[in-house]
Amino acid sequence: MVRLVILAALVAVGVLTSKWLMLILLVALGLWPITLALGFVILAVISIWHGGWSWMKEWLGSRLGGLVIPALSVFTALLIGALVMFFTDQQVYDALSDGGIFEAIKVGVGNLLRAYGALYEGAFGNPGDIIQAIGETIGGEDGLKPLLRAVRGPSDSLVQSVPYIFAGLAVALGFRAGLFNIGAEGQIGIGWLAAVFVGYGITTELPAFVHLPLAILVGAVAAGLWAAIAGILKARTGAHEVITTIMLNYVVYRLSEWLLCGPMEKTVGTCRTPDVAASAFLPRFLEHPVSIHWGFVLALVAAVLTGWFLFKTTWGFELRTVGANPDAARYSGMSVGKAFVLAMFLSGALAGLAGVVQGLGITHNIALGFQAGYGFDSIALALLGKSHPAGVVAASLLFGGLRAGAARMQSVAGIPTEIVQVVQALVIVFIAAPAIIRTVYRMRKPREEEAEVSVFSRGWGA
Amino acid sequence: MAVQTQAIKARKAAGLNWRELLITLLVLLVGAILIVLGAFGTQAGDQSEFTDQMLGTLFALPSQATLYAIGAVCLFIAGLRLFRSVASLRGLLTWLVVFLAAFAFLVWVTSGESMNLPGMIQSTLTAATPLTLGAMAGVLCERVGIINIAIEGMMLSGAFAAVGFASLFDSLWMGLLAGSLVGGLMAALHALLSVKYKVDQIISGTVINILAAGATRFLNLRVLEPAGLSTPGSFETISIPVLADVPIVGPILFQNQPTVYIMLILLVLVNYVVFFTPWGLRMRACGEHPRAADTVGVNVNRMRYISVILGGLIAGIGGAYFSLGVVGTFEDGMTRGQGFVALAAMIFGNWNPFGAFMAALLFGFANAIQVKLQIIQPILPFIDQPIPHQFLQMAPYLLTIIVVAGVVGRARPPAAEGKPYEKQ
Repeated sequence: MVRLVILAALVAVGVLTSKWLMLILLVALGLWPITLALGFVILAVISIWHGGWSWMKEWLGSRLGGLVIPALSVFTALLIGALVMFFTDQQVYDALSDGGIFEAIKVGVGNLLRAYGALYEGAFGNPGDIIQAIGETIGGEDGLKPLLRAVRGPSDSLVQSVPYIFAGLAVALGFRAGLFNIGAEGQIGIGWLAAVFVGYGITTELPAFVHLPLAILVGAVAAGLWAAIAGILKARTGAHEVITTIMLNYVVYRLSEWLLCGPMEKTVGTCRTPDVAASAFLPRFLEHPVSIHWGFVLALVAAVLTGWFLFKTTWGFELRTVGANPDAARYSGMSVGKAFVLAMFLSGALAGLAGVVQGLGITHNIALGFQAGYGFDSIALALLGKSHPAGVVAASLLFGGLRAGAARMQSVAGIPTEIVQVVQALVIVFIAAPAIIRTVYRMRKPREEEAEVSVFSRGWGA
Repeated sequence: MAVQTQAIKARKAAGLNWRELLITLLVLLVGAILIVLGAFGTQAGDQSEFTDQMLGTLFALPSQATLYAIGAVCLFIAGLRLFRSVASLRGLLTWLVVFLAAFAFLVWVTSGESMNLPGMIQSTLTAATPLTLGAMAGVLCERVGIINIAIEGMMLSGAFAAVGFASLFDSLWMGLLAGSLVGGLMAALHALLSVKYKVDQIISGTVINILAAGATRFLNLRVLEPAGLSTPGSFETISIPVLADVPIVGPILFQNQPTVYIMLILLVLVNYVVFFTPWGLRMRACGEHPRAADTVGVNVNRMRYISVILGGLIAGIGGAYFSLGVVGTFEDGMTRGQGFVALAAMIFGNWNPFGAFMAALLFGFANAIQVKLQIIQPILPFIDQPIPHQFLQMAPYLLTIIVVAGVVGRARPPAAEGKPYEKQ
């Protein structure tokens, strides 16, 4: 009881000071090397009481050991991405015919550095600018403006990571139940459509604390029910969810085209809905141009709840058992079909939330061509995060940064953002086949306790 | 224990009933829809006239009466399905319903008008071409024991490469060849991941799909468009002399794009190789019981590489159909999930090239009729509006879901599918 009160008090304080907390978080992200160094210092100070360097080494080793392969995978994928960019660079070939091979390499590497520099700035902001802006804000009269401009990079990264967290959790939850939900893209669309519809469709003025939760809930449930179709089909007829969810995606694309260019359209020809009422907005923490909104907190809460559901509840245990071994689950009296339907519903609801936060937090409407590839990226996220909510959040932050950076890379260096998709596909390859990474970097064979990986290839009937 | 076993048995039986019930309900629904369409969607005196370019009117049917008749037959079959004694005929009856319903739909669409029947069949065949090619890729891959959900990615990369190389060499045939080779390359990656690195084959396939989607977009924007290599044009129709002049059959079979002929030839060839040669027997053994195949001296993993890559080569041709066969350029994600539809066709066709072809014709028909409906725009009863074209475009995808749900439980995939083979 006392704990609950303290927790509530902490939450209240957090909400009241959320603006400043978020600003500090953004600055810390933008200046991550300093943050990291600070963390090290704190750890070193703590280690004095625990036995010094050897304790610290063990503490770090036990927490970071599992990160070696994912980190190397991402690094290698970025490296290959760089090679692809280098060899598809028109200027390199021009330089090759003009000034020979060294000239070409010089031009190519220069372009690469500019591209990856833009990627970094898009994701983390320019550290020099941030430090300067801090000085200006403290001394100047402009208020927070310069600082807000400087931390736009980290803010964009977090904003991009919000739908990723939801969609990644969706796929991860499916993985745990042995389901391969590749229909997240369509479920995102359904959630988005439903939430925006509730957002602009309710014309009587509702207070925000009713309207907003209602829109979020309707979006999540609609997407969950949509995904549950695939779950029911699998449970009842054995139809493989990979095919049904993909097909449902295409149905959503057509359905949304009809809705957006028809019944839900605001002005003819725009294929765009009216804007959501302000009472259904997900509020933002700070002013323009920093667009980070409360969806980020929702995403973190969803991650915690998903982890709690999977690892602390009976239903979660049943889901994981069905995922690990459906036969064993069946013989111990669990209903495999129920688990499939439940898992698809929850997975779809999570994916739907990814659309909901985009609709209520960023765009405030939905227009034709809303698909942004979150659904497919989320597969990489779930794999990268080893289907664990904490891992998914970390992977989402990484991919959110990549995405924010890619947008900047396109505007500054003219590199199509799709390169990130290529990098992501490579990341999945390396995570799924760690043997490649081990061979390339001459790492030792792992001990026998390889992390549990769900198997989906049970054929079409199972 | 006994109770438990009984419960499990009961549940299993219930599961089976569900599928049969689903199909019966669908048949019932089809019958009802046809009768409603007949009653409210046609005029009493209307006739549906089917024509041929050379012969003129082939036959004309009274629309309303035909719809009533076929609807009644569907209802009768739905009732018949409930009896155990016709259980062995159920498959046949389902196919009968499918074809009757397709025909009845045509009759409704053309009520009060006329339709070029061979032309319709020909566009069905054309639409079925990439699906059949994709499904054959699936057959070659899955018969040897590798699940292939990467048909989509192989086709997409094939479509892309075909455009690029056709422009580069200024020859559509070089483009077709390159498309095929790149499809094979993607398949080689799939084989490498699933055979050598033992990656889960569903994940491996998904990787190919994501990689293909990303890489083709990236390269299209960064290489093809800046270099002006994105508009090679498309294949012309080739008429085969003499045969093309045969009435009805000629326009259907012998006035087509090259990809259609290639598909028909490959269909016969793949069927022959897989089912009537020693190599095919060995290959199928690798998918059914790799250990047994290994014992008699078949190199299972090498067989898997070869067969998967062969499948990729065929899928690449299917991809080239989309770019060089239809629009003559590359568009992002232009295969639009047809790779997955092909997969459903393969499952529907029971991992058999000709079966897959029949299923592909069904999907092709759904595609052809939705294009036709967009032109004719018949008015729906009760709503008094034409069907929005978006709903028509959903038809192939919905059909795929129904097929996969209705058929999969009864289909028998190769036994060793999805399992990496480890020599002992």
